[in-house]
Amino acid sequence: MSHEQTSLAFRENTVRALKDSPLRAAMKHAADTFGTKRADAFAPVADLEALRDRASAIRDDVLANLPMYVDRFAASATRAGATVHRAKDASGAREIIAKVLSDRGAKRIVKGKSMVSEEVDLNSHLEAAGMEVVETDLGEYIIQMEGETPSHIIVPAIHKNRRQVGRLFADRLGVPYTEDPQELTKIARRALREKFLSADAGVSGANFAVADTGSLVLVTNEGNGRMVTTVPPLHVAILSVEKMLPSLADLPAFLRLLPRSATGQTITSYVSVVTGPRKAGDATGAKELHIVLLDNGRTEILAGESRDILKCIRCGACMNVCPVYRTIGGHAYGWTYPGPMGLILTTLLTGMKKSHPLVDASTLCGACVEVCPVRVPLADLILGLRERKVRERFSDPMERRGMEAFGKVAGSPALFALGQRLAGAFWPVVRALGGKDVAGRMPAPAKTPLRRRVP
Amino acid sequence: MSGADRARLFLENAATAAAGTHSVSDTGDLLAALRRIVAIDSPVYCPGVTPIERTVQTLFTNRVSDYAAATVTVEEVFGAIAETGTLVCSSEGGRAVQAGLLPAHHVAIVRRDRIFDTLDDLFAAVCGVPPTNLTLVTGPSRTADIELTLAIGVHGPEKLDIILV
Repeated sequence: MSHEQTSLAFRENTVRALKDSPLRAAMKHAADTFGTKRADAFAPVADLEALRDRASAIRDDVLANLPMYVDRFAASATRAGATVHRAKDASGAREIIAKVLSDRGAKRIVKGKSMVSEEVDLNSHLEAAGMEVVETDLGEYIIQMEGETPSHIIVPAIHKNRRQVGRLFADRLGVPYTEDPQELTKIARRALREKFLSADAGVSGANFAVADTGSLVLVTNEGNGRMVTTVPPLHVAILSVEKMLPSLADLPAFLRLLPRSATGQTITSYVSVVTGPRKAGDATGAKELHIVLLDNGRTEILAGESRDILKCIRCGACMNVCPVYRTIGGHAYGWTYPGPMGLILTTLLTGMKKSHPLVDASTLCGACVEVCPVRVPLADLILGLRERKVRERFSDPMERRGMEAFGKVAGSPALFALGQRLAGAFWPVVRALGGKDVAGRMPAPAKTPLRRRVP
Repeated sequence: MSGADRARLFLENAATAAAGTHSVSDTGDLLAALRRIVAIDSPVYCPGVTPIERTVQTLFTNRVSDYAAATVTVEEVFGAIAETGTLVCSSEGGRAVQAGLLPAHHVAIVRRDRIFDTLDDLFAAVCGVPPTNLTLVTGPSRTADIELTLAIGVHGPEKLDIILV
């Protein structure tokens, strides 16, 4: 992923995505599957709205007191025997992790799925330092082999079909071609088992961090999260600061909402609650645990008008229902996080100058708001960013001048009436000059404006 | 919830999550169930620590001490949750939680009196000083990373059997 270009090529990417028929087919299949699964999973939940209210209130409280919860988490995790590091930005996090690993001579690294590690572009940095970094989540394993980035925060290889994965495995792993997902999964299991058992260190993310106890919570299905946190002698976890929950008593609400929203499961196969490294008398846990708390702009977001995006628990439900995401897939967004939550976070984390084209990647239909389990006001936040885009003069100059002119005309009844008459009179000319494009998209103005017909 | 309801709900939900479920009433039944479920001569890891594990371990002719080399782990787990059909594995008391992860087949023995009604009840019980590792296990290891098609047995067990005693 490129971090240098001046602005994300969202429109160009979209045009390309629209012509990519395997991608369109994969996204259509995904959209249909996700919708049904999610609805089925929530159907038996008695008081879903109350559950969402509770989860939303917990996240509000976390944001209102974030520095306090982060400090409390750091103190609790330290007491439990972990070493807690704070990283101000992406490069800070990369340096800390590279140093922890290289100081201990770690060469072979197995990774659990972590979007925050994607955000800081950790892998390439560790590889440049001479380490072998192996993604172990099946979807991440596939895209790492292909040299791609995730196109979905939960299902990273959602843009690929089984034949593409089959060919990739046959090419790279030298196994006979198969397109059976179960067989492909077995192939990955065998290849990765060896990596787990010989790894010097595991690097993971975390879905939640519990302030009272200093626990990390990992919600997974495959078991790679369990492997990474229990098999290698050294475990490094990277997470962004807003992932705090006050106490373990708050966790059940999120364990009920996150898997249902993400994959339509009542609960995931595995939920690991890791509190510190292995202690005397323990037979489980890494001997050493390092936790890197990443800020990377969160403190600034917290102080601004878009702070509610930090309530997000990364379930991906908003992208699964988004008509834009469902059409173009995740890569078109051009950075780590796609979909409604992604375009907001990307704009805030990378700046309006770079990300302003993304602010238009929404129809504001509100489907995302309807499914968000923690009630992030996604549509309002996108609207707010659009206002900022105009205010900071990143909108298209023609559009801006047009809107300013319309504003002046609409502000004066006499000018507005004149405009209406002119529009009616000159419409045939506009149509003739503008061609099919204008005529096809715009309705013809009425010959007699409504204002004149209604007394 | 009555004990019987709790046990029934747990087994129902565990079965929905694709776990094999078995309910036994005495030691004889337990041993018979294990003979049915486990290939007795395969390399089995059984910690042999709890009274139940000490009773059952003698069944297995090829017991291994390294779970990474075993094809089956047979163990008594910390508890279960009825709401979700979940097993609760804890590192408390020197238990190797990863022993239920590495072998392809995990056989978990749960005592009826160790079933919590809900997730809330479990976390209320462990919230003070949680163990180093508390892992909730619901069904076998799974993925839907290829075309959202369910595949079983990614990194963890492809087969999970639960015996309620």
